[in-house]
Amino acid sequence: MLYRTAGQFKTSYRADHALFPVRQDAWLLAFILLLAFVVFPMTANEFVFRALLTPVLIYALAALGLNILTGYAGQLSLGTGAFMGVGAYACYKLVTIFPDLNLIVAIMLSGFFSAAIGVAFGLPSLRIKGFYLAIATLAAQFFLVWLFEKWAWLYNYNSSGSIQVPTISVFGHPVAGPNATAIVQYYVVLVIVAVITWLAINITRGRIGRMWKAVRDMDIAAELVGINLMKAKLSAFAVSSYIVGVAGALFVFLWRGAAEPVAFDIPLSFRVLFIAIIGGLGSVLGNYLGAILIVALPVIISTLPASVGLPLSSAMVEHLNTMIIGALIILFLIVEPHGLARFWAIIREKLIMWPFPH
Amino acid sequence: MTRLISRMLLAGSLFGGLTLAGQALAEDAINVTNLSYRTGPFAATGTPLMNGQRDYITMLNERDGGVGGAKLVYDECETGYNTEKGAECYEKTKTTSIVTQPWSTGITLQVLPKTNVDKVPILAPGYGFSPMADGKVFQWAFNPPASYWDGASMILKNISEGNLENLKGKKIVLLHLDAPYGKEPIPLLNAYAEKYGFTLLPIPVGLKEMQNQSAQWLQIRRERPDFVLMWGWGAMNAGALAEAAKTKFPMDKFVGIWWSGSDADLKTIGEAGKGYRSISWSFPVSDSKVMKDIKQLVVEAGHSMLPREEFDYVFYQRGVVISMFVVEGIKEAQAHFKTKAVNAEQLRWGLENLKLDEKRLKEIGMEGMVPPFSTSCGNHSGHSGAWMLQWDGAKFVKVSERLEADQGMIEPLVLEGAKKYAESNAPWPVNEECK
Amino acid sequence: MDLLNAIFVKPFADMVAAPDFLLQVLWEGLVAGVLYALIALGFVLIYKSSRIFNFAQGIMVVFAALTLIGFHEHGVPALLAVPLTLAVMFILAVAIERVVLRPLVNQPDIILFMATIGITLFLIGFGEIIFGGENKVMITEELLIPTGSYTFEPFGGFVSIEQKDLTAVVGAVVLVVVLLVFLNRSKMGRAIRALGDDHQAALSVGISLSTIWVLVWFIAGVIALATGIVWGARAGVSFALEVIAYKALPVLMLGGLESVSGAIIGGIAIGVLEKLFEIYWGQPLLGGNTETWFAFVLALIVLLFRPQGLFGERIIERV
Repeated sequence: MLYRTAGQFKTSYRADHALFPVRQDAWLLAFILLLAFVVFPMTANEFVFRALLTPVLIYALAALGLNILTGYAGQLSLGTGAFMGVGAYACYKLVTIFPDLNLIVAIMLSGFFSAAIGVAFGLPSLRIKGFYLAIATLAAQFFLVWLFEKWAWLYNYNSSGSIQVPTISVFGHPVAGPNATAIVQYYVVLVIVAVITWLAINITRGRIGRMWKAVRDMDIAAELVGINLMKAKLSAFAVSSYIVGVAGALFVFLWRGAAEPVAFDIPLSFRVLFIAIIGGLGSVLGNYLGAILIVALPVIISTLPASVGLPLSSAMVEHLNTMIIGALIILFLIVEPHGLARFWAIIREKLIMWPFPH
Repeated sequence: MTRLISRMLLAGSLFGGLTLAGQALAEDAINVTNLSYRTGPFAATGTPLMNGQRDYITMLNERDGGVGGAKLVYDECETGYNTEKGAECYEKTKTTSIVTQPWSTGITLQVLPKTNVDKVPILAPGYGFSPMADGKVFQWAFNPPASYWDGASMILKNISEGNLENLKGKKIVLLHLDAPYGKEPIPLLNAYAEKYGFTLLPIPVGLKEMQNQSAQWLQIRRERPDFVLMWGWGAMNAGALAEAAKTKFPMDKFVGIWWSGSDADLKTIGEAGKGYRSISWSFPVSDSKVMKDIKQLVVEAGHSMLPREEFDYVFYQRGVVISMFVVEGIKEAQAHFKTKAVNAEQLRWGLENLKLDEKRLKEIGMEGMVPPFSTSCGNHSGHSGAWMLQWDGAKFVKVSERLEADQGMIEPLVLEGAKKYAESNAPWPVNEECK
Repeated sequence: MDLLNAIFVKPFADMVAAPDFLLQVLWEGLVAGVLYALIALGFVLIYKSSRIFNFAQGIMVVFAALTLIGFHEHGVPALLAVPLTLAVMFILAVAIERVVLRPLVNQPDIILFMATIGITLFLIGFGEIIFGGENKVMITEELLIPTGSYTFEPFGGFVSIEQKDLTAVVGAVVLVVVLLVFLNRSKMGRAIRALGDDHQAALSVGISLSTIWVLVWFIAGVIALATGIVWGARAGVSFALEVIAYKALPVLMLGGLESVSGAIIGGIAIGVLEKLFEIYWGQPLLGGNTETWFAFVLALIVLLFRPQGLFGERIIERV
């Protein structure tokens, strides 16, 4: 009943190819956007912005980048954290070399640096496949983090070896740095993430996206039907690394405010990978669902037991959090290898039928 | 298994505080949250310190019902020495806790710019960014009783036997954790190297290599330095000591900063570590009044998470001293503002006006546990000086009188560092009233 | 010119000038390499028999070592603690097979790989709850491992060889020989290899999948315990140890995922080469700490020329 598609006729191919051929989906999206743009900002306090909303968006963006590479083009990468780092350091250098550059432009530009590095480390994918490639991306991970530590020019020779975001204003409002308010940062992140997501949906649905999927499903077969493997794989690396790089720049400039090289080390890569997997590989929606789960879980674990009178120490919360994420990953893989996005698809199908069983 | 259960129960009783905090706030309660790490590769050195901090507060609550009529609520927020988690903890606790104790130089640097905006004092005893000693610029940050630069200066003084000219032509290796913490002393040591004509060779130890430092120690063997200084933390300390023993590096030429002087680390090599020195601004005095009270009211009453054998350890009792700094700051603020429930801004004033002279230390029963010092609006460190401790194969013993850092060397660098920081983080408010 | 000199001439001149030091470097590299090889061996065994890329091997090392120490802390004599730990590792193997692997039979490789990452996280959290996060000392002496050291004085310098490192190398060699004999001569061993070649064919001739999987994970557990003991004896046991598992990955790339001998040769080669590179090139020219990435980059370069690794089976792809 709620999700009845009967009566929604398509009279042209264009209409049939619309992003949301089902009217209810469009309404749902409008509702979510309303929540994100109007309701949350009016109700959330600073802690909710800093600990939940902004990180969910940034992690979802990073996972989207990874998902394009892994979920759409089938190239497993364990180096996401380092590519986020490339974006962050590029943005830092851009902002300090050109202090008058608009921060949002700098963030968008920094993605190109990570895209270039991504393509360079993507080159082996033309010869190496599967797990071998996954380990090859670890080479990027470890090498780049090492470079962030050793190349003092990258962090302007700070004695601490970390990068600090100064106060940066855009159109007179402080957007980054200690004086920026959480709500302004949230809006900037929201707009950037929304625009990139919209572009990504379109790319993945288009010619390039279909090329990637063909390569993912079987690269030799794709090659035989005339897809240029080099173009397909490298474009996936480029687009993916661009998005990941932008996410990295947002991560440092609009959320963390400072970063040291270890912040981009392997745990970050894995965290993004978990989001993509739990959310669902090969899905855009899944990145958001996964990010919500991974970001909210520690908050839930630390507040829920205490509120029912079973208090836990902070170390215990941390241990439990690690343990539960591990268990969740296994559980999801067993119950639904396609992740949360697939759950939503199932619910949606049921809703279309509801209340009739068939 | 019993240990597991007792651990959980204790953890539970500890975090009873969290649920109670809400109710207790209504009465006069003061929340002091600690950004602790009882997990991860740094837990080994973190845990005893956190135990000490926690037990001092528990003791005060048991013995005096808190401080000045206000109950103390000690919470922990787990960071795992991870900067990202630390920043999260800061955001989470900045409205409830009147102080931020970041427990890592990386986290300190991360939250430092926000404190002017959020108005929460950072207390980083013996760690953090050394220029924080300049209270005019860093109005909200405190690193009593001594900064890393103080520590470096005192170590050089001690190894040169009082005359820095002796270091001429010598080669000194700084074996340090490759993190903001480990890099802290480098600017000062470079300045010393230039002035006194010795060679400084920093050798970083990455987080992944803490337990396998064979490459670093091969390099030390090749370079044949006259001294090795260590800025190590967590699993790195034990790893370095084991490698030093293995490469037959003379232990009496090997000196650590205060965080590299944990009994537990030295116990792993025991006799082989004899002669190793570590500078320290705290010293365990187990028969002091405070420690006796803690033993009776906290440890023996079963409120502590401390393994019994660690009671006499340097790190545990240093944790006690650190909590004392907070409590003394609260007391000063209570007296000055004539209120029980001190808030963050009032505590800032209190920390700026610490007066821990011999008499005061005797009153609170901590004689000999920390050198006397006082802070002021311009001096947020106190520069207390420190003692050199030496491992005798089973425990640390004091082998020097109180050493004093050479402020003539340090101060220009502090001012310069603070100024540079303020400039690169402009607009940065500076306390002009402070003379 | 200076740079070329520093890259191509000086390191070798240094090696010749201080041969005792070179020997020490080689020895240190060899010991590290043996440990990498052991971890890689755990990976290979599981991969061979089930096509699972077992990311959890590293945490199994930590878990085994901590269990051993944990038993000893509770008053169990060291030599009795070893079989008890093995029993725990067996239970772990059964649990993993029942809870994780069995429901995931026939899933794509990447799903199983992710599942092992899940196991890793679970074991980290679980282990920290039980054992705490502190650094523990390996009960080296209680296990009758000698702790002294031999010092040789060739070429006027000295080379120091720790007895426990020597024990580690000897122990590893024995373990590998036993394993090879088991795999090649025993019935079970042949079943493992058959399963690696073709699951369905193996099933059809009556080889029990679940028995073999439990067995293989248990063997991986035994290797993990051995690795944990020798590595723990060097540097103590804590969860930081888990990162050494990453070092086994380039070893696998170099050696090939299916090759036991590849894992051993690859491990030793990487251990020695990365140490040589770090000491003679990394520290003087690049600021040190090159060991974090050297092995990966080396393996990457090798793979560009041989995508299946040095000893891997040739990849034949059909549509």
